[in-house]
Amino acid sequence: MIEISSDVIRGYNDTMILFILGDAPSYGYEISKKIKQLSKEKYLIKETTLYSAFTRMEKNGFIESFVSEDAEGNGKKRTYYRITEQGKQYYADKCEEWKLTKDVVENFIRDNGIY
Amino acid sequence: MNTIKNYLESMFANMPNTPEVLKAKNELWQMMEDKYTELINDGKTENEAVGTVISEFGNLEDLADILGLRGAFEQKAQTADNTPRRNITRDEAFEYIKDRTTNGLMVGVGVFLCITSVICPIILGTMSRHGGAIGVLGMAAMVAVAVVLFSLSGTKTRKWNFIGKMPCSLDYGTATEVSAEREKYRTSHAVRLTIGILLCALCWLPAAVMEEFIFGLPFIGDVITPTILFVTVGIGVFLIILTNKIMNSYDSLLGTNDRATVSGSYGMENEPVYINKTVDTIMSVYWPTITCIYLSYSFLTFNWFSTWIIWPIAGIIHHVLKKNLTK
Repeated sequence: MIEISSDVIRGYNDTMILFILGDAPSYGYEISKKIKQLSKEKYLIKETTLYSAFTRMEKNGFIESFVSEDAEGNGKKRTYYRITEQGKQYYADKCEEWKLTKDVVENFIRDNGIY
Repeated sequence: MNTIKNYLESMFANMPNTPEVLKAKNELWQMMEDKYTELINDGKTENEAVGTVISEFGNLEDLADILGLRGAFEQKAQTADNTPRRNITRDEAFEYIKDRTTNGLMVGVGVFLCITSVICPIILGTMSRHGGAIGVLGMAAMVAVAVVLFSLSGTKTRKWNFIGKMPCSLDYGTATEVSAEREKYRTSHAVRLTIGILLCALCWLPAAVMEEFIFGLPFIGDVITPTILFVTVGIGVFLIILTNKIMNSYDSLLGTNDRATVSGSYGMENEPVYINKTVDTIMSVYWPTITCIYLSYSFLTFNWFSTWIIWPIAGIIHHVLKKNLTK
């Protein structure tokens, strides 16, 4: 089975995270779980990748973090992230960028890779 | 679960001890813990869950840029081989504590003998005409035993001389265990130290009381009171030496990890870090000193009903000092 190349997907980790945060604020493990589900288990984001994406996007003002108690009510404190207006704008740009990228690359893809 | 914690700690062990790094470690731990809990709840075995969490953890180099450690990572690659740290195993750590305790006992007894050796001429001097000379011999013998004890105590700890001289390290599990032991010993340490200081400070008290009540008997004044005085001081000093040696062995073990790295804080998370060594020393004897002042003053004046006020005052002062003098 072909595995996804981390070099290619790297530029779109932000897009995936912002997509999920667009619905509701969330925390690390929940986000990684949703990415796994939504990608139909084809992409698994590593913890270190996820955390560095959080930190970078927070620095750029795309997301904000806050500490809150677990929604399941077991009293556990967690760091949650929510999307900012700037983040929404960035997400829209990334979507545009992806469409363009896809359109461009698509022109060079032969059916089943056969000449 | 412990395996995961150990894995994470060892990954971070040589990272600089900065708030960003600690925050990253905590956040990563949160995610790993969540993932582990869910895997277990899904019916996975402990081994499977641990394996999955660790294999999906990723690579710390991903964090280098966001933590501002790009330079540190490259530097580490260069210097890692030049300064290997001597790893202290769990068995070694506990043997070290045991040996240092024995060492403390020997030195303590030695010093006790030195202090009390003067009793020989005092007692024997009053017994007969030649007693003085025999007494001096007895004193010399006691000092000789003390010297033997001192040199033996040195050989006991010689093999541990490398601790503190060369860079060493303690793994996370051992450091946590040593720290727990230290925490357990803390109360005994405080009690022994206080009693020790108190005995030294109040050594004249029994003598003074005796002088007061049994005044007139020459034997009491010349022999018993000085004997009690020296024995009291001897026991006091013995306690102080022993307990400080034991406490010191915990501290030097926990201090082996490089203070600038995350591992430097293993087992010391709850310890206040004072601005310099002098302040640290003063703060460590703060409570024993207060106790001594309290007991000495109360015994002297018998104003027990008002002297307790020292405790709340000392408590507030301690809090203020701790707030202002910690890093």
